[in-house]
Amino acid sequence: MAAPLRRGKGLRLAVGALGFVLTRSAFVARKPNYDRPNWFGVGLAFSTTAALWVLLFKQHNEDVTEYERRQKERHHKCTGCS
Amino acid sequence: MVFLPDEARSLPPPPLFNKGSAWLGLAGWGAALLDNGFNRRPVLRAGVHRQILFATVGWFVGYYLIKRTEYAHAKRDRELFEYVKQHPEDFKTKEKKRIGELLEDFCPIR
Repeated sequence: MAAPLRRGKGLRLAVGALGFVLTRSAFVARKPNYDRPNWFGVGLAFSTTAALWVLLFKQHNEDVTEYERRQKERHHKCTGCS
Repeated sequence: MVFLPDEARSLPPPPLFNKGSAWLGLAGWGAALLDNGFNRRPVLRAGVHRQILFATVGWFVGYYLIKRTEYAHAKRDRELFEYVKQHPEDFKTKEKKRIGELLEDFCPIR
């Protein structure tokens, strides 16, 4: 953990004369702020939860109807009605 | 490798409340609580949206895993019974002895 930090500082020291860093990073480390709720994260979590439950209920109902359909088909063949 | 072949749909689907779902849902919830613990947040009261999400994901995955498990067991049972049916000479049931034949004759010693 210390080595990359030091390398970064070395880079800045090497280009001490210039006003910019040689490499840029899209990733910035931030300390999590727990004073305000992360409404985006909360919304995402709840909407994903709702979507998963909807998918699960749909899948289960599909499975039940498909099973009952196959049972009916099987019994239909056995009794051999018109 | 297909997750669930078509013939698996001939099996009765597991109920929505099943062992695998319950267990993995509990595990997901525990993972959320653990995450709270590691990030120094109040364990039960923080990130309820996260707890619900993780529990839901566990429940969801559990349902599909149980379906796959039931199919694997049903397939194994079908192959087993097929083998037993095709080799009756290896699976002869022993003739049951009646209790009268089992006991010794009663010889009173007076």
